[in-house]
Amino acid sequence: MPDRAAMPDRTAMPDRTTMPDRTTMPYTEFQTLKLHRRGPVGWLLFNRPDSLNAMNAGMRAELADAWLELDRDPDVRVIVHTGEGRAFQTGVDVAELATDGLGMERYRADLEAYDLHFTAWQQQVSKPVIAAVNGICAGGGFHWVSDADVVIAATTAEFTEPHVSVGQVVAMESIGLLRKMPFEAVMRMALVGRHERMSAQRAYELGMVSQLVPPDQLRDAAQELAEKIARNSPAAMAATKRALWGALETGLTEACRQGAREVVSVWGHPDQDEGPRAFAEKREPRWAEPERAEPEASPR
Amino acid sequence: MSGPYRGLLVERDGPVGWLIFDRPEVGNAMDAAMLADLPRAWADLDADPDVRVIVNTGNGPAFQTGLDVRQLAGDRDALREQSRRTKRADLRISAWHNHVGKPVIAAVNGVCAGGGLHFVADADIAIAAERAAFLDPHVSLGQASAFELIGLARRGAVEPVMRIGLTGRHERLSAARAYELGLVSAVVPDARAAARELAEKIARNPPETVRLVKQQLWRALELGLTAARREAAVIAARSPLAAPAPASQQELLGEPPCR
Repeated sequence: MPDRAAMPDRTAMPDRTTMPDRTTMPYTEFQTLKLHRRGPVGWLLFNRPDSLNAMNAGMRAELADAWLELDRDPDVRVIVHTGEGRAFQTGVDVAELATDGLGMERYRADLEAYDLHFTAWQQQVSKPVIAAVNGICAGGGFHWVSDADVVIAATTAEFTEPHVSVGQVVAMESIGLLRKMPFEAVMRMALVGRHERMSAQRAYELGMVSQLVPPDQLRDAAQELAEKIARNSPAAMAATKRALWGALETGLTEACRQGAREVVSVWGHPDQDEGPRAFAEKREPRWAEPERAEPEASPR
Repeated sequence: MSGPYRGLLVERDGPVGWLIFDRPEVGNAMDAAMLADLPRAWADLDADPDVRVIVNTGNGPAFQTGLDVRQLAGDRDALREQSRRTKRADLRISAWHNHVGKPVIAAVNGVCAGGGLHFVADADIAIAAERAAFLDPHVSLGQASAFELIGLARRGAVEPVMRIGLTGRHERLSAARAYELGLVSAVVPDARAAARELAEKIARNPPETVRLVKQQLWRALELGLTAARREAAVIAARSPLAAPAPASQQELLGEPPCR
């Protein structure tokens, strides 16, 4: 692992949210991603701006590790991910598909086995995940919108689903969105393909994103939101996440039955004493260190 | 096309197939003849190789106002047939009931009431004219409402659907509110013109891919998230590229290549 001190000097006026304050172990140096921590917030940046942050095979592999690295870091309470440059994410790297001699064949076995590891949901990340959509989000980019817990966007962000226009049937992202927002809008994007884009404003109206921010303030807004979320009990939030994502798997009654298990799972947890005590004493709670439940064996 | 169709106009215009309700004097209500011919109209449009996208709209001020109860009351055989299909949840009214594989756009040109809601709940895409409105008078007539509302409730927020179900004929949901709720994706002065333009965009995409995407997204309404995604992943893995692969992300997005 590289020595932090050996890293190049930062520019004179750095964006405050990209200033790492991590002082413990450094994160892995990735080729296609940047990881850093600011306060309780772990940042995961797509870092292939020249390719509109397209996911090549390298990024696909690195994402699997990056999510787990942030989820396992006890100093990180909330994860934010966003993109460097003008795009948020534009899905699989088509230039690599066209030139590497493998094309989509590279991914066939993983798809057939449904063995995917590039989103927080696929990696069963237990901490809250905020997607901050900084620019265009296209096609496979919707994986990270559909699989985030909370999504905010720059007022200049745009959404489009070009898969169908290039003859690809990839519905996993749209299926995730269907569970979280009106069906018609998702179907329209999926069928119209690259011949239309949805504005950030419409995405906000439809509830695909919950907050719009001028582009130059997006990272600050994401940090601020993440810090609010970070004030809550990690154990309670992890159980809440499991209950709500689990509810997308089943009917109402069964979801409530499983949700009951999550509610009961935190009974007797020290946070349940600490929360009310801190409130009574008018101070911030000191939550127990979160423990990551390792993923179930079955792949997503 | 194997016309004529009673109570319906079935037409083709370029890649767009039109299924138009044509009983404007009764709000395009479905009588026995229209009910009998709807499956054939959908099937013919779905089978026509020149049709890429189907637009469903109505002639006159209304879009569709459900069963023509007055006509059906005097047609015991037709009423019995409809009752039998209802009992079995085996309706043959909408594109979804009739297993249409092509994209269907509902161009809601005016009021859409009761059984007319089938055609919105079961469309892939819905747009509305400014004068359009949505209501479900079933409960005001002593009838229970289920299929249309269940379909609508899967498409967005549930409360507004329950509200139109329970307020019956005493309240209408406006086109503007339907847009806010995401039940329709556009409110326009001329629903037909807007639907044609939208249909032509979809028609530029490869039809087999479009069919598979539509199928997967509807299938997803039947399954839990993980199960639906697992099925879709297998379909994706088995679908060869039907169009030349773009050379860059910019080309993928239909943008001019940078530099």
